[in-house]
Amino acid sequence: MKRTYLGEFEEIVLLTVAVLHESAYGVAITDELDRQTGRSVSISAVHAALHRLEEKGMLKSAMGEATAERGGRRKRLFTVTALGSRALHDIRAMRDQLWSSISPNALPAISI
Amino acid sequence: MKNPPRFADLLLELFCAPHLLEEVQGDLYERYVRDVRQLGVAKANQKYILNVLGFLRPFAIKRQSSEYSSPEYRTTFFLSPVMLRNYLKTAVRNLTKHRVSTLINLFGLTLGVTACLVIYVITNYELSYDTFHPDSERIYRLVGEAQFGPTGEKHPVGFPPNAVPLALRQEVSGIETIAAFHSVESDVLIPNGSQKPKRFESRRRTGGNADIIVAEPQYFDILKYEWLAGNPKTALNDPFKVVLSEQKAHKYFGDLPLEQILGKEVIYVDSVRVSVAGIVKDWSQPTDFTFTDFISFATIRASQLKREINLDQWNDIWSASQALVKLPKGVTPDQLAVPFQQFSRNHIQKEVKFEPGLQPLSDLHFNDDYQDNYSRKAHLPTLYGLMAVAGFILLIAAINFINLATAQSVQRAKEVGIRKVMGSSRKGLIIQFLSETALLTLVSVLIALALIKPILSVFQTLTPNGLTFDLLSAQTLLFLGIVVLTTSLLAGFYPSWVLSSYVPALTLKGQSALTGGQKGYLRKGLIIFQFAVSLVFIIGTLMVGRQLNFMRNKDLGFSTDAIIEVNTLRDDKSLVLAQKIKQLAGVERVAMQWFPVMGQSHMVTKLKYKGKKEVEMDVSAKIGDENFIPLYQLRFLAGRNYMKSDSLREMVINATYAKALGFKRPADAVNQFIDFQGKPYPIVGVVADFHEQSFHEKIGAVFLGYMPRQAKNIGVKLATKGGQLSDLKTTLSSIEQQWKEVYPDNKFDYTFLDESIAKLYEKEQKTAQLVNTATAIAILISCMGLFGLATFTAEQRTKEIGVRKVLGASVASIVGLLSKDFLKLVFIALVIASPIAWWAMNQWLKDFAYKIDLDWWVFALAGLMAITIALFTVGFQSIKAALVNPVKSLRSE
Repeated sequence: MKRTYLGEFEEIVLLTVAVLHESAYGVAITDELDRQTGRSVSISAVHAALHRLEEKGMLKSAMGEATAERGGRRKRLFTVTALGSRALHDIRAMRDQLWSSISPNALPAISI
Repeated sequence: MKNPPRFADLLLELFCAPHLLEEVQGDLYERYVRDVRQLGVAKANQKYILNVLGFLRPFAIKRQSSEYSSPEYRTTFFLSPVMLRNYLKTAVRNLTKHRVSTLINLFGLTLGVTACLVIYVITNYELSYDTFHPDSERIYRLVGEAQFGPTGEKHPVGFPPNAVPLALRQEVSGIETIAAFHSVESDVLIPNGSQKPKRFESRRRTGGNADIIVAEPQYFDILKYEWLAGNPKTALNDPFKVVLSEQKAHKYFGDLPLEQILGKEVIYVDSVRVSVAGIVKDWSQPTDFTFTDFISFATIRASQLKREINLDQWNDIWSASQALVKLPKGVTPDQLAVPFQQFSRNHIQKEVKFEPGLQPLSDLHFNDDYQDNYSRKAHLPTLYGLMAVAGFILLIAAINFINLATAQSVQRAKEVGIRKVMGSSRKGLIIQFLSETALLTLVSVLIALALIKPILSVFQTLTPNGLTFDLLSAQTLLFLGIVVLTTSLLAGFYPSWVLSSYVPALTLKGQSALTGGQKGYLRKGLIIFQFAVSLVFIIGTLMVGRQLNFMRNKDLGFSTDAIIEVNTLRDDKSLVLAQKIKQLAGVERVAMQWFPVMGQSHMVTKLKYKGKKEVEMDVSAKIGDENFIPLYQLRFLAGRNYMKSDSLREMVINATYAKALGFKRPADAVNQFIDFQGKPYPIVGVVADFHEQSFHEKIGAVFLGYMPRQAKNIGVKLATKGGQLSDLKTTLSSIEQQWKEVYPDNKFDYTFLDESIAKLYEKEQKTAQLVNTATAIAILISCMGLFGLATFTAEQRTKEIGVRKVLGASVASIVGLLSKDFLKLVFIALVIASPIAWWAMNQWLKDFAYKIDLDWWVFALAGLMAITIALFTVGFQSIKAALVNPVKSLRSE
């Protein structure tokens, strides 16, 4: 099956956009990433990833409203496209399939 | 609310793609606000900067808006062809709309660029002297320090004793090549079958470049010539050979093919017959090595040249003796200092102590310390001064542009507003305004290019001889490119910056309010600067003119009226000629002399006085027969003139020398004895001090006496009673007839004394001309700028003037109102310019032993002149504005 390759970081960003639903923009995504995964990433890295995802057609964007704390500037709001959604589902299906194929004792037990 | 660091924002705006800027900046702001709350301002600032730097990534920098960005963000790229065409069109429309200021700017810029170009051509020519030789950085001239007698002063000389180069070659290692040569000044004879030989006169009489040298074969190893005929390896090895330059060969032998010229005979110094062994191509680049006749060195010992050039001489130095040195790669002259000192100790002489040194080839054209008799020295400070003048003139022209453009900016505010609303970026606006300046500068450069040839021919006296230039060389084009670029940026950047900063909302509302810092301080400052520069030039003109006047009119201590010097061939026939001239009507007095009392040539010798204490010092010698002192009307303070004699018997000294010998009254010196070359001579008279050299030198000790071997030139005082020019002319032509009888082969050569004295100040004359020209240009450009501004202000204040008149203001008060501001600026400029001019003129006057004082009234006069000029320029416009009927100016709204 031929599909667009998604990097690990890109996948997480794409998922976060889905999590935030209609209020996904640069800073919000960065904060959500921080909160959910504990990863502290720079705004520019997130912007770069969003830009690439948009180029790949997995995200689409529109300018949102301006707020005072942004110095009167508008934000760009991102939503996941059908292609993006398809990609996420594919990845998840593949992972599930792989998980189900692992025999119960194949992975060393994680000591608690 | 606290704002993030401004510079980081600016940086972001600079590099970030426009279509991304809003969201990126918004995100960064949002983050900054949170950071300030959580971490404090300092930390937040730091993080903000780091975040901005984080966006230095390809995606953020890449300009092109891709298809996903919404159409509202698409603007035309500011350098796209469409925009460029638009810039050009707007520029042309604007320039033609504001004709007066365009003409002023064009005129000013053209003058400035032309001055720059002329000065560039001159300085470039001077600085390119002898830079074209291969390995020129390794070529040096052998110079040194000479000391006469054990007590004498050490002084630099550009020529070694004759024996030094040959001995250096044998004794000092570490020199790659050394080539000795001697310059010779002689007539050249070309045998012409059975007829009389063709004679080419020596440059001593024709005044051309140095042409004849006797050179070692190594000369051609150091300086490379292109050989057109003959064998370069062997041409100069044997005695009685000569190598000619191509042009010289054609001059001597006409249009014979070069191969046929080989082997022909040439005669130098009356009887030295040599044959042509080679022909080289003349150099086309500027050089001080202008030689065209290279006689083989071996000829010296084999011919009567050995009487003139004693190759074994250690204890005297002659300016004709020269040597070039080429060092191996990596050897510096410093490394040779110790061997040279050693060499000098090994050859200690009683009379002369000489320590060799090396002068880089690049120094030859500029260093006055090392004199010789072929190179023409250029004065480096003058060249730098010229460059500064060019820079200032161009700057003044650029300032005009800045002033006029900012003054008119209000009128263009609407245009800027509309452009901004239509989506023009600031960059686009700046480019648009700059293109107007660039267009103007380009036009002025083209005009300057067309003007340069006629200008250079008009100013021929100011330009160096033989000046050549190539306007289309890569170097010149590069220079012009730089001029266009810097001038457009200098003149256009500030106005375009200001114009493009206007906020459309304000300008379109019709408020032409000037934003902060726009009260015209900059404009005023620039006007002050312009006038300060002009004032410095005005003061310079006045001072240089006064000093020249002073030198021309000060009593020199002798008479210069109607005295000519006839330059004979210095043989015994000159006595015959003198006798013949004496008998002519219209000749008042004739004296045999060496040189006139004042002039370029002077000789210094050592005299000893054995009085109470022994005084030995350098004394300048003025040699002439018993008619010498009466001819120049030197004034006797004591004693009498020396008697007619056939050798040196008696001496007359000047007052300075008498004083130096310790005599309180001049009369005390009479009948004392002075030793000259070991023999005592009596002092029979003391004359009042007179100038024997230019005003740069102090009057020193002088003695006058008759030495028949030296006194072979003729000084003639022409009768001027009822003095008319035609009388002088007939007398001169009858002298010429006598000359033809005595010297049929030579040209009659004479100079008027006052002319040869004026020649001493050639450099000063040139400086004066230069300063005058610079002043005229500077004043002209400044005034045009002022005129433009005054026109503009008068226009702006039409309504105000109308109201004032209606309320009863007089014409005079309105003129005063309009002129006052400008005059204040000129006055401030005077305050600034005076100390600068004072310092500069002090530097210039330092070179003179006899000079004028820097009187305060000169500065006052300069100020008055500037104010008058400014008043005249501004006044015209002010009066025009003040005379307008208020009905007209107030009628329309």
